[in-house]
This record gives sequence, structure tokens and C-alpha cells, in this order.
Amino acid sequence: MAETLLVGSGLTKRYGGVTALQDVSFSLTAGEVLGLVGPNGAGKTTLVDLISGAQPATEGSLTLRGQRLAGPASRRAKAGLARTFQYPQLALELTVAENLLLGRVARRHGTVWQMIAGAFRGALRPYDKADTLAVAAIAEELGLDRLDRPAGDLSLGEQRLVEVGRALGQDPLVLLLDEPFAGSDAAGVTGISEVVRTVQRRGHAVILVDHNVDLVAGLVDRIMLLDRGQSVFDGSPRECLDSPQMQQVYFGVTETPDDAIEEVDRVGS
Amino acid sequence: MGQLQLWLSALEMGCFFGLLALAYYLVLVGAGFFNFAIGPYAMVGGLCTSYLVLYEEMNVWAAAAVAITAAAALAVVTELVVVRPVQRRSGGGELPALVAVAAVLFAIQQLAGYLFGYTTLPGQNVLTFEPVSVGDTVVQPSTLVLLAFTVVAFAGLAVWIRSTRTGRLLRAVGDSTHAARLLGLPVNRVRLIAFVLSGLLAGITGLLFAPKAGVSSLSGLSWALSGFLAMVVGGTGSVWAPLFGGLLLGAVEVFVPYYFGGQSHVYGLLIVALLFFALKPSGLFVRRVRA
Amino acid sequence: MKRIPGSFSLLGGVIGAVLILLWVGADGYKQTLVTTTATYALIALGMYVPYLMAGSLSMAYGAYAGIGGYAVGLISSKSGLPLVVAWIVGPIVAAAVAVLLGLATRRLSGFFLAAVTLLFGMAFTAWLVDAEGISGGSAGLGSLRKLNLFGWQPDHYDVVVGSTVVVCVIAFLLDRLRMSPWGVIVRTMRDAPRAVEAAGVRVPVMNLVSLAVGAAIAAVGGGLFTYSAGSVTPDTFTLNLVFLAIFMPLIGGSATPWGAVLGAVIAVELTLNFPAVETSGTLILALGVLVILLVAPQGVIGYASRLTKLVGGRRG
Repeated sequence: MAETLLVGSGLTKRYGGVTALQDVSFSLTAGEVLGLVGPNGAGKTTLVDLISGAQPATEGSLTLRGQRLAGPASRRAKAGLARTFQYPQLALELTVAENLLLGRVARRHGTVWQMIAGAFRGALRPYDKADTLAVAAIAEELGLDRLDRPAGDLSLGEQRLVEVGRALGQDPLVLLLDEPFAGSDAAGVTGISEVVRTVQRRGHAVILVDHNVDLVAGLVDRIMLLDRGQSVFDGSPRECLDSPQMQQVYFGVTETPDDAIEEVDRVGS
Repeated sequence: MGQLQLWLSALEMGCFFGLLALAYYLVLVGAGFFNFAIGPYAMVGGLCTSYLVLYEEMNVWAAAAVAITAAAALAVVTELVVVRPVQRRSGGGELPALVAVAAVLFAIQQLAGYLFGYTTLPGQNVLTFEPVSVGDTVVQPSTLVLLAFTVVAFAGLAVWIRSTRTGRLLRAVGDSTHAARLLGLPVNRVRLIAFVLSGLLAGITGLLFAPKAGVSSLSGLSWALSGFLAMVVGGTGSVWAPLFGGLLLGAVEVFVPYYFGGQSHVYGLLIVALLFFALKPSGLFVRRVRA
Repeated sequence: MKRIPGSFSLLGGVIGAVLILLWVGADGYKQTLVTTTATYALIALGMYVPYLMAGSLSMAYGAYAGIGGYAVGLISSKSGLPLVVAWIVGPIVAAAVAVLLGLATRRLSGFFLAAVTLLFGMAFTAWLVDAEGISGGSAGLGSLRKLNLFGWQPDHYDVVVGSTVVVCVIAFLLDRLRMSPWGVIVRTMRDAPRAVEAAGVRVPVMNLVSLAVGAAIAAVGGGLFTYSAGSVTPDTFTLNLVFLAIFMPLIGGSATPWGAVLGAVIAVELTLNFPAVETSGTLILALGVLVILLVAPQGVIGYASRLTKLVGGRRG
């Protein structure tokens, strides 16, 4: 039996009177890839936010390797979480290489003293060979080239790749990917799938969010189906596709990935 | 100084701050933007009038007309030449707009200094009549005119916003410029009207307040800050909110130095700002909504 | 890849500094211009960190420079310590004040932060006037002792040269800091704070550190100015100066700290050494800033580097 990495129990999020997420529990073992699937508004991103600490949970708790996981996002990142965002959060004026570098160097600036020391070290020794090599290796794995371009010049799909690469640079125990395929082309999908496999090989876990079951079914070991803030199914991809819950949730849903891309473009512009 | 005199002074300062805050309010509601150049518009209204009267021997009313027009024209230039292009280029980013408005503020201050001199000039009274006595307290004509204008301006704008089409559009445009544009609303025209009105309002306000303590090219900055604070303290919930903020700030400005002396009103304003922003951490001023 | 990061810009800066020093020679007024420029440059360099890297515009820099200045004045008049201690104490106190102010304003950004920090600057000036026992009131502190560095007493020209050296060193170090991991984190906070937080850096704390670094640099500048001017008063570091410091990087170019230095040179030249338009140099500067904002947001260095890239690209 593989080690249990991340356990969430009774996670609930309410905004005023609206319940975005209701009593969701799950557990994730080492080397596992969990697909988090559901239509728009099902609470997928809310769950990712609660796990990563971007928003506080109204109720419920999390443990990572048996240790309680709580507090601001930065503390959870230090404990071993990394995430990407539904709408990529990149520094658009910085180069691709610099954006990738962030993931790797952030943990060296985790405490106040490290931040102060980092300022002095940075002024005296701005570049580190090991960092440059690591960034190049990640870029290679993702199939990104021309790393001195500003991130703002990239397509949405490429920006997602950079985000995934940045998260990978944190060498996380659990990697949360929020809709990484929206806006990606074939090369992007390959690159991201590659990263998922890498993390898996290291014996770490991935949570992969998407509303398209078919896209994630081939990549994941298990699927959790969310609908209107509740977990309605948790099992293997095959069982999920055949399940009555699946029919129920997606019946009459006309949304296609193309809509999502348009939506992203609209919000991004 | 009697208690009544103090209260009267606080009321006058409060009305002044409230009017400046109202000018902020118009631009904030209509264009989603804190126009710090309001202070300099008011300064131009006061300083230009005094200069024309004292050095060009112009009639007060003619000078006032020129000065107010100049203030409104500066507001138009701010919107058309600076704010609109910078906002278009920077998208939602706040920093470029902030730097741009700082540059406008600075430029108007320097321009006024160059044209009208760097000294403090006494304010000019548009209406001269006998001071009114209330008990042992004398109320200057300039004070009465300012108070009357406050009532007229607030009431007028309240009616304008409630019952004219442009007034009602103002909030719609400011709340969601993008949506308003999609709906085919005249976004640019409404914004421009907001700027013109705020420029006129600020110009008149500066001109009416100048007799109290004089006006110099450097007055604009502190007026800009006071008006901004008054607007934030009051909030944007109603047209009258800026007046409440102004009156509160006016009381601080007058009573704090009375009891603590010296320059303590500056500390008072800083404390009001910090306290207010701390007690209302995410209330009125977090207007950015993430998608 | 260059062997020493930032050395190319440093070379440009040093050449500029040497040319300026040659132009100055023994002319006393021009020497004053140089120390003033160095002060402006250091204040603009201090602001560079939080303002252009982290994206938060604090306007309390008159106060931070003032702290540096008063540190020199107080150490000179009220203590027996060597004067050079002032350049250690001043920056540390300024950094501490910046952290406290940053804590009080940690939830504010944009216009709100600008307004409160402006008010703080005004309140600090008011306090200097009120606290006569400490600050000497509106007359300020004067008749400073001479610097004594291990037996060496620099004369006035040495101070002029020294101030340009300090500016070049700090600009060079900041340039490197900008490229370093620390710089990458701070610059990412500007557009994508959520990503920085999610990567494991507490954004509000990092913000305070960047404010402290900036305030300390400005305090060095304040001390320098006070020493070369021989006195400090509440009006030495005005709000005008803070406004100019916001604009300097825009004029010179905001992509590197050297832009702030170049901007300082241009600003001092226009406001203090432009006899033809004596009273309107500042006006020209203000209008120039507006024009730059509207048509040339990259500033002088931005255009120069684009040009060299273009030329270099053709050659290669």
C-alpha cells in the first residue's frame, strides 16, 4: 500500500448564504493522479483554492503526510504544495526563464531572514549556475524554447506550460493543475502530460482539474466528479464514464472546451 | 475665539472639503478613477482669479469666469490627453494611472507657478456685503457664499444624478465600463461630462475658499489630499456621502490644532486616514473585482 | 552570456560619471550640482525597489531621506561617535520606519497608499518643526563635524567624487539585484502576487523587506546631501523632490536602475542649471514627463537599448 499523502475531510466553503463547496472529502496516495471533473461552477477551482490556501475554508481540514495543512498559501507551498491557476498568473514583463525560475527559488525566500539575506546575496551573486541548468531542464521537458522572450508574448497555451513548469520547479509533493489544457495545442497537451508522468514517477501526486472527462480519463488513476459543490462520484475513470452520476451531471450540458477557451480569452483580454 | 466661531470655522472647512470630495466622487463614479488633479483645478480657480484681479485689474466676475473655465478646460485635457490613453494602454493596472495623475498634478502646479507667480495671493470676494453678526460672532460674506454654494451644488448634483439620463448613466458607466460599451452607451461622453463637471465644481470651490487663507500654486497638493480623504471617509454610497466626510475632516482640521496646537492637524489627518483605512479594511476602497 | 552581470551598464555609468566630474572641475556651483544629483539619484534608486520592482508607490521618501540627513546632523551635534556611524544608523532607522509604516498601510495599494504615505511625509515634516529639542525646529541642525575615515579627512572635492562612486556602486548592485532570484520574486509580486504566494513566499512580508531596502538607500542619499550642504532643515527634502523622484525613472527608463540615475541627471540639469528658462525648468520637466508617459513609456535607456539591439541584431 502506497503512502497516503494528502487527505481532505469535510471541506466546505460558503460565501454569505451561497454554498460553493459542501462537505467534500478525499485522499490521495503517493504516485497517484486524481482527476477533478465537473461542469463549470461545480466548485473545482474553489476546492483547489481551499487546498492551496488561496481562500480559507469555512469548515473542514487537510493533512499532508499526516501533518495538519493550514494557514496562508505560502506556508502550504513550503509544506509541499504547488499549483497553477485557471487564468495564468505570470509576470508578463519578465522573461519565460525568469517566470520558470520563480518556482525554484521561492522556497529559498520562505522566512524573513532568508528574504533579507536573499537581497544581499542577490546583489552580490545574481546568477547561480545550478538554477540556470534546472530552468533549462524544465523548459526542455515542457518543449519550451526561446526562454528570453517576455511571458506576455506567449500564447495562452504556452503561458499555461510556463505555469506548469514554474510549479514543477517547486518539486512539490502534490501538484494542483487547474484546467491546464484550456487553450493548449497538441504540443502543450503532450508537455503537460509529460510533467504529470514525471511527478508520478517521483512518487508524488497530482490533482488535475478539467471539465472535460474524455481529456483527463487517459491520464488519471482516479476521478472525482463534482456537481454543484458536492462530490457525487469517486472511482476509476472507466467506472466514472459508465456511472449514472456521470450521465446525470453532464446530461444536457452543451459546453465544449472551445467555449472555455473563448471564455478565457475574453477574461484575459 | 468663541465656541461658535470654531464650529463655524469647522463648518466652512467641512464644506470646502466636502465640495472637493464631491468633485472626486463625480470622476470616481463616472470613470472609476481617483483624480488627484482636483486639488490643482481648485487652486487654479482661486489663484487665476486673484492674479487677474490684482495684476490685470480685471473685474472679479470676469476673472472668476476665466478661472473657472480654465479649471474645466484642464479637467478636459486631463481626461482626453492623459487619463484615457494611459488607461487604454495599461488595461486595469492602477499604477500607470496613478503616476500619470501625479504628473498632471505636478505639471499644473508648475504651470500655475510659472503663469501666476510662486507667492501666496489673497482670495477675491465675488459678492461683497456687510458681515452678518450672530451674537458676538461675525460671519464673513465669503463664508456665507461658500455655505450657500455647498447646498446648491450638492442638491443640484443629487437632482441631476437622479433625474437626468446622463446622471443615471454615470453610475452604469463607472461600474462597468466594458459592459456599458457593449450596451452601446455613450461611455466617452459620460466620462467627459463627469470630468467637466468636476473641473467646474473644483474651480468654483477653490475660488470661493481662497478668501479664507489665500492661495498659492502649492495649495493644490494639500487640497487634493484633503478632498481625497473626505471622499474616502464619506464613501460613495450616496451623493451626500462626500459632504459627511468633508464635515468630519473639517472638524478634525479645526478642533485638533485648537486643543493640541501647532501643526497637529497634519497628525490628525494622518491618524484619521490610518484609522479609517484600518477599520474599513476591505470596505469602500477595494473596487477591483477579480474574474 | 556576460561574465559579470550588470557590468555593461556599470561601464556606461562610470564613463558618464567621469565625464561629469571632468566637466565640473573646480567650479563650486557645479560641484554642488553633482552632490544634489547624487542625492536625487539615491532617492530615486531607493524608490526603484518598491515602486518599479514591486509595483507599490510609497511617497514617504522625503521622510526617509530626512532621517538619513538628521542622522548625520544628530550624530555630529549630539554625540561623540565618528560621523560615519550616521550612514549606518540612518539607513537602519529609515528601514525600521518604513517597515512600521508598511505594516500600518499593509492593506493599502495604489491611490490609497500614495495618499497615506504623502500624509506621513507631511506629518514627519511637521514633527521636525515641532520637536525643537531633537531636530532644532525649523532652523534645523548645522555646523557639522568633518568626516574622518581612519585618519583620512576628505575635502570637498573628495566628497563630490565619493558621492558619484556611491551612486554608481548602488545602481550597479541594484541592477544585479533586479536580475537575481530576489529580484525575480519581487518583480513578479507586481503583476502576479498570487503566484508568488502560491510558490511559497509570503507577499506582505516580502513587500516590507523591499520597502526597507528602498528606505535605507534613500537615507544614504539624505545623509550625503546633508553632509555636503553642511546643514539640514525640515524643508531640505520637500514633496517636490519626491515627485521628481517618481518621474526620474520614467525619464531615464524604468527597465534598469541606471534609468533613475540618468533621470536624476536630467532633472537636476533642467531644474537647477538651465539659465535660459530659470523659473520654468521644472515646468519643462513636468510637461516632458507627461509627454514621455504618453508617447515614450520606456524612457531614454529603453530606446537606447532597443536601438543597440536593432543594430546588434543586424550585425549578428
